[in-house]
Amino acid sequence: MAGGIKDKVAIVGMGCARFGERWEVGADGLMVEAFTEALTDAGIARARIEAAWVGNALDDINVGNSALPAPHALRLPNVPVTRVENMCATGTEALRGAAYAVASGAVDVALAIGVEKLKDTGYGGLPLRTKGLHNDLWMPYGSAPGTFAQLAGAYVARHGVDAADLKRAMAHVSWKSHQNGVLSPKAHLRNAVDMDKILGAPLIADPLGLFDCCGVSDGAACAIVTTPEIARELGKADPVTIKAIQLCASNGWEMQFGEWDGSSVPNTRLAAARAYAEAGIRDPRAELDLIEVHDCFSITELVIMEDLGLSDAGRAPADILDGRYDRDGAIPCQLDGGLKCFGHPVGATGLRMVYEVYNQLQGRAGERQRATADFGLTHNLGGSPYNSVAAVAILGRQN
Amino acid sequence: MGGYVPLLRADRKALARELSWSGLGMPRAGYRAVAGWDEDPVTMAVEAGRGLIASAPAALRFASTSAYFTDRLQAGIVLDALALPRSVRTADCANSRRAATGALLDALLAGAAEVVVAAEQRSTQAGSAAHLAYGDGAAAVRTGDAGGARLAGHASLSHDLVDRYASRGHPAPYAYEERFVRDVAVPQVMVPAVREACAAAGIAPDRIAHVAAAEPVGGCWKAVAGKLRIAAPNHCDRVAELAGDLGAAHPLYGLGLALDVAAVGEFVLLLGFGNGADALVFEKLGEVAGAAAMARELGGGVALASPTRFLSLVGALDLDWGMRAEFEQKAQATVLERVGREMIGFLGGRDSTGNVQFPKSAFPVNPALGAPEVLEDVRLAELEARVLSITADRLNFTPDPPFDFGLVQFDNGARVLMEMTDRPAAGFAVGDRVRMRLRVKSLNPRLGFRTWFWKAAPLDRPRLGDA
Repeated sequence: MAGGIKDKVAIVGMGCARFGERWEVGADGLMVEAFTEALTDAGIARARIEAAWVGNALDDINVGNSALPAPHALRLPNVPVTRVENMCATGTEALRGAAYAVASGAVDVALAIGVEKLKDTGYGGLPLRTKGLHNDLWMPYGSAPGTFAQLAGAYVARHGVDAADLKRAMAHVSWKSHQNGVLSPKAHLRNAVDMDKILGAPLIADPLGLFDCCGVSDGAACAIVTTPEIARELGKADPVTIKAIQLCASNGWEMQFGEWDGSSVPNTRLAAARAYAEAGIRDPRAELDLIEVHDCFSITELVIMEDLGLSDAGRAPADILDGRYDRDGAIPCQLDGGLKCFGHPVGATGLRMVYEVYNQLQGRAGERQRATADFGLTHNLGGSPYNSVAAVAILGRQN
Repeated sequence: MGGYVPLLRADRKALARELSWSGLGMPRAGYRAVAGWDEDPVTMAVEAGRGLIASAPAALRFASTSAYFTDRLQAGIVLDALALPRSVRTADCANSRRAATGALLDALLAGAAEVVVAAEQRSTQAGSAAHLAYGDGAAAVRTGDAGGARLAGHASLSHDLVDRYASRGHPAPYAYEERFVRDVAVPQVMVPAVREACAAAGIAPDRIAHVAAAEPVGGCWKAVAGKLRIAAPNHCDRVAELAGDLGAAHPLYGLGLALDVAAVGEFVLLLGFGNGADALVFEKLGEVAGAAAMARELGGGVALASPTRFLSLVGALDLDWGMRAEFEQKAQATVLERVGREMIGFLGGRDSTGNVQFPKSAFPVNPALGAPEVLEDVRLAELEARVLSITADRLNFTPDPPFDFGLVQFDNGARVLMEMTDRPAAGFAVGDRVRMRLRVKSLNPRLGFRTWFWKAAPLDRPRLGDA
């Protein structure tokens, strides 16, 4: 069995554009913002990049189809560039491509960049897309909050928790992320919100209220990856390395076969188990110092805590309310504000998560810095609970 | 027989009160059945006819004056939705309020097992009497050589009396003066047709015990009954009171109510009116399957409280739904040809272990199976299921919010992500039992096209008038 890519790939430079309603800049400008920061961070010239993966998920109109918008914006030197799209897991998918290229020995230095320019659609939320002409004949077009909201009722039915208690735990998830977003200079939303306001917000998709939902943003994030050896040549004595990247895609089992109860995201569980094995993590509750997860909706973050094995079954609401995942908790979650407050430019989100962990591992997270940061996990989720792409990455230092 | 009336019923009195400032005259009693945004003559015809296909009929006739397509056979769409064999003969009958009575008479005279479905969702203009008098609904009849009633006599009469009309140039009805219509229709059309039908049946008109007579304007049947000394109740009045004038489906629905309450041996008159008349006299021989359910269907529903929601549903109020509504769903004929019949027929597939899935696939979804299989057809449309997960989505555009959808679990193993319809007052919840109803899946107003699929609905409807 293949041994995975643990410590075969180092991240030597990362950049992240300020997320938000970037009326003044297009997709090209967002990519330039992230890329120039990453080049500076890596201390390399653009010409050293031998291959690139660009992630863009949703809106061809505002970024452009194919991989070409990236090499045009960044004037990459005619290297192979591949566009990847895996819904909201696109950012991690781009990193996976670049990391595998380095790990395979095909290239020495590769770029992963994710970008999304969503605020030109004229409304909040994601644009509608076809599900394919056959599926369009039967499959409902639900909104993203509509798909994830269904976790809540199924969770109540599975665990017998009181719906009001669940709602309060969900509100705490958002409350915590707003607290963290205040300390995140590049975040889309940097305002603290009190619990009463969260609990009293209008419904978007029952039982999710406005503050249970992340918005969508403009943004870009990127990583330059190479071998640990080259990283050291670049002056990174103890580089941040990728301990694991695992991605699991649904095959229809959840939404077509009568076994899953709707209260979890099975692909997250599979991806986490594989990532822990690849990284050699045996006790994630003890070994992970911080996590950045796909909190597209508060209920999603809540069930992720169980899916990642960090809370016992049915205990996530209590753990959340006890503050386990708060900034000063045992396993802080969304130190940068997460999708909820840092923002969610879909194709960039997975790389934004890695950006926060990368900075935390190097003690560069400013006011958000976690005292101990040896292992960090990112969890990037595309699709819906019943038809998903889940990606889990684990980062650490090589030594 | 079978009948269908939409869940929503507009309270005429409340709506007339809203328009009282205008001084316009309109009916004030009873309810007007209002098709949901996802209902149309095809969906209502399927609801009315779905109970009549225990065996495939020789022919399926679809009658309507409000069919959506003008060059596409509606009966063929209904046939696929009912998963009937393609060898069943199909025909659309249109352009007259007596399209259904004519189709029924032809079916009876053909002597074969046929199904006649009539459904209407007619355009009306706000302010007109028809706006509140018309209703949406459907009725269906199965004919054959055995049943609870026999055709004893009939007569038809053509007379191009323009009591009202609708046209491509004027889709809403244009109605002429009521006294003129009554004065011509009663003596020149209705009375002769009924008299001749009774004569053909070998009975005097006063032997008629129950009536299902569609009138061009109010008071016509009363005048006919007086002239012919028929004391029987006109059951179409009840349909008009609780649902409205159902157009081509109106006399068939009244026939169902009449045959339900008639005693064995009694004679029932069916009278269709529209540029002439069809009069059919039936003798009740026994129980008419489905007739009792039509009475229950008529009495089940929910009062539609919002006048603006009513106006929006009937197309009289064009709301700006914002940018989110700016999308186009284009269905391709090639895809419809490949899988359309399985989709609208709600045909899943059973694998070699017995598990059912929808849609079918070469590799079964069952993880126990590792190789491609040919799955056996299983129709899910007539099965109950339960809600596994659900939300009321208030972000997603729908013409009648919220957009309820979730995973629906069938007992045979099939699990389908479905839209919900006929939302109950308390909404849907995990564990709810649901039944399947054919509804409009996508609308493409720019290209004048639409598709249909099945949606999950509550098993039962509240009684009209219940809180």
